[in-house]
Amino acid sequence: MRPSISQRVRSVIEIQSLTKRFGDTVVVDDISLTVDEGTISVFVGTSGAGKSTLLRMINRLIEPTSGRVLIDGQDTMAIPEDDLRHRIGYVIQGYGLFPHRTVSENIATVPRLLGWDKKRIAARVEELLDLFQLDSGEFARKYPHELSGGQQQRVGVARALAAKPALLLMDEPFGALDPVIRHKAQDDLLAIQRRLGTTIMLVTHDMDEAFHLGDKIAVMDQARLLQYATPAELLTRPAEEFVEKLVGTAERPFRLLALGKVREAVEPGAATGKPVSASATLREALSQLLWMGREKLPVVDADGTPLGRISIGGILAHGRQPA
Amino acid sequence: MNAISPHTSAPRTASAGAAVSLDRLGSVVAVLIGVALFVAPFVTYRANRIVAGEARMVLDALPMTLAIGVMAAALGVALVSVTIRQPIIRLVAAALGLAVIFVAVGRAPAFLTPPGNTFARISPAFGFWLLTLAFALLVADSITRLRLGPFARLGAFAVAAAALALLLVSGAWDGLSLLKEYATRADSFWREARQHVFLALGSLAAAALVGLPLGMVCYRVPRVKAAILQILNIIQTIPSIALFGLLMVPLSILSAKVPLAASLGIHGIGAAPAFVALFLYSLLPVVANTVVGLEQVPASVIDAARGMGLSTRQRLWQVELPLAFPIILTGIRIVLVQNLGLATVAALIGGGGFGTFVFQGIGQTAIDLVLLGAIPTVALSFMAAVILDAAIDLAKGPVRD
Amino acid sequence: MSAGPILWRLAALVLLVVFITKPELFAPLFEPLTINNAPAIYNQGSLLSLTLAHLGTVFSAALASAIIAVTLGIFVTRPSGLEFLPLSRSLVNIGQTFPPIAVLAIAVPLVGFGEKPTLIALFLYGLLPIFENTLSGLTQVSPLTLEAAKGMGMSLRRRLMEVELPLALPVILAGIRLSVVISLGTATIGSTVAAKGLGEVIIAGLQSNNMAFILQGGLVVALLAVLTSDALMAVERFAARKLGQSPS
Repeated sequence: MRPSISQRVRSVIEIQSLTKRFGDTVVVDDISLTVDEGTISVFVGTSGAGKSTLLRMINRLIEPTSGRVLIDGQDTMAIPEDDLRHRIGYVIQGYGLFPHRTVSENIATVPRLLGWDKKRIAARVEELLDLFQLDSGEFARKYPHELSGGQQQRVGVARALAAKPALLLMDEPFGALDPVIRHKAQDDLLAIQRRLGTTIMLVTHDMDEAFHLGDKIAVMDQARLLQYATPAELLTRPAEEFVEKLVGTAERPFRLLALGKVREAVEPGAATGKPVSASATLREALSQLLWMGREKLPVVDADGTPLGRISIGGILAHGRQPA
Repeated sequence: MNAISPHTSAPRTASAGAAVSLDRLGSVVAVLIGVALFVAPFVTYRANRIVAGEARMVLDALPMTLAIGVMAAALGVALVSVTIRQPIIRLVAAALGLAVIFVAVGRAPAFLTPPGNTFARISPAFGFWLLTLAFALLVADSITRLRLGPFARLGAFAVAAAALALLLVSGAWDGLSLLKEYATRADSFWREARQHVFLALGSLAAAALVGLPLGMVCYRVPRVKAAILQILNIIQTIPSIALFGLLMVPLSILSAKVPLAASLGIHGIGAAPAFVALFLYSLLPVVANTVVGLEQVPASVIDAARGMGLSTRQRLWQVELPLAFPIILTGIRIVLVQNLGLATVAALIGGGGFGTFVFQGIGQTAIDLVLLGAIPTVALSFMAAVILDAAIDLAKGPVRD
Repeated sequence: MSAGPILWRLAALVLLVVFITKPELFAPLFEPLTINNAPAIYNQGSLLSLTLAHLGTVFSAALASAIIAVTLGIFVTRPSGLEFLPLSRSLVNIGQTFPPIAVLAIAVPLVGFGEKPTLIALFLYGLLPIFENTLSGLTQVSPLTLEAAKGMGMSLRRRLMEVELPLALPVILAGIRLSVVISLGTATIGSTVAAKGLGEVIIAGLQSNNMAFILQGGLVVALLAVLTSDALMAVERFAARKLGQSPS
């Protein structure tokens, strides 16, 4: 029996005092943190902050100078390098698709390395093409240079997920996409992650991306980890001035609203106008209220049942600095 | 930006290994030096020009003090190459090593030849060449690692050339077989040298005169480009001696039918078919590189030039050609090195040049005569390559990749 | 490729094959070029066996060059051989300033006349373009692709065999073609050192002042070289297409 795609494969990652020095320069300085299973942790910071090096020490593309990484309690140094990498998905900016192999051959890379039988590989490739909305008849036999940027990105992620890794490392995976496609690709990744439950560590320098995707955000600067917290905490209780600046003081209330759901600010009562969905973010609700020039709008849940109303005043209370 | 580089781990291996491990290239060089000193003969002694030679090891080939000096110098270079990594020190050591063996080998004839014997021939043997190779490897590696600029490279080359010239002019090598071979043919040597250079440079000049405009036409008219490049590609594939042969027939008919052609020196046999063939071979690199050079001028630059109101002609002369120049020059370099080599074949059809000695030497199994033709040819090609490489770097300007 | 060039090639091939098997058929064409009733068609050996000997020499030397040069190229691009990379680049550069004829000529006194010096010269000189192209083919593989291969846990050997070599293959094949084309020419000159080959026809013509010999030798060698190079180029295009690269 073939394991179904929704089978939950998750891992908890513990990073303990991880340090990397190249000669005299410290690139990653004594970083410790834990990534909970089934969550997305996003590493942000300016370029040269050491986030890529940190990521590349997880799958040992770079050997740490000191410290260790535990995956589900097992020290990564105890696992042969290649075996370790078979178990960890890896997506880079530009994807590094094999130009001499078709889409399906690219996706089949790790299963082939693991010696899966042909039937199982073919089934897995089909499954992933389907999951990433790539029509197998059209795309399976295409070569990477025949794909658009967005399609290449999807193949890159599908390839990384092929052997059902419990952990996925992503280094600027959306960096090469234009803004419109990028947002859609982020949504798709979120949906797939929620469905598979894969633990993801993602590096980016795009703050919007960090807030959009991260269950937790790690802010790095000059080799150090400044703060590792939920997006809301980062906004309301920045650990250092640098974090506050990076988050963007002007953006702060809107980011906070984007984290809250309409459901949390529903007031009893009725209102007229186009209803707002309870699962929309407070930021989206505010936009709609401002755009339509209303004080209040009705709120409905997914099947259209009225839940009450939402008001500008009620939303504003959620975007305020906590006392 | 998150630069992804597979080389990030490289410094680790280099620094970790420095303390204990030996330099691999240095070890290879040291082994070569060891073989050259203790296994291979330093010079060959022959009773006359044609007979087989007898080998002489370093200790038997030179006066005792000099022999010990050569061994000490060579072992010193071996030691440096194994233990020291700084390129500049290796360069100096290897250059000194070369100087020592080059001077020393000139002393062998006087030491080995019985007084009054004028037939005996002394020539450098395998061990000498192996030492030269080992030292030259070290020199080449050091110069590569030093990443010298164009002027520094030209300077280094000039020093080496001057040192060699000094050795030749001073008479230090006059006892060596090769120089004896030269002495009996000094007149014809310089005549063939002039002919060789004339064939190579003259055909290049003609190819540049025709090829540059042809390249510009190809750049403007894609259909012409496809046809011309295909034809030139085919010509380039034809082996030289076959092309010489193919050209001899029409040229001999021409000289028989048109007295003027004959009086201009155009004959089926001789320099004319060689010159024409070299010209034809030269066209492909010149034309192709002109086209590529012009095509790689960024469209934005051409657009800007148009926007500023430069005419087509002004654009060509002020923007496109200057930007294409380094690539065109690369084409010229390819042609010149190729022509200097191919010109040796001209001797087969009576076209003269250094090939004359090579083919005579093959006929008489006289290796000295072969070398008398081959060494100057290689030296000329090498000089052309060094000078034009420097010129290409200069043409590219200070921006380095 | 349109039909025109294919027809041309086919015609050239047929012409070549007919000429080397039944050269007498062409005697009337060459007679006007002879003087004093000299033979119009080369009569000191069969063109067919000369052609086969010529090709045999060239391809055995090219095979040896390819094996050694590709191995060396792989070695100097591995971590353990990286130290030799800068030097080997300069050596290739310097090596190419040696005319192949000089290599041939210097080999004669060392190993005597015949096939041997020719084989040695072809082998040595043939190393250069293959080695150079192996280097550029292997070093131009995108670092992103290699990073991805490594990140997915491909071993060094697999990365070489499944990623680097296939991606470098078209460039390596181009090097082999260059080497073969140069060898075809050098082997012709090999006839001056008594190697069996098509150069004999031209040399015989030069020695007896027989233009007919020179012309037919030149034609056969030229056709052979152009067709061989053409065939090898087709192999390169095929490889590039197989590897999903757009033919450039």
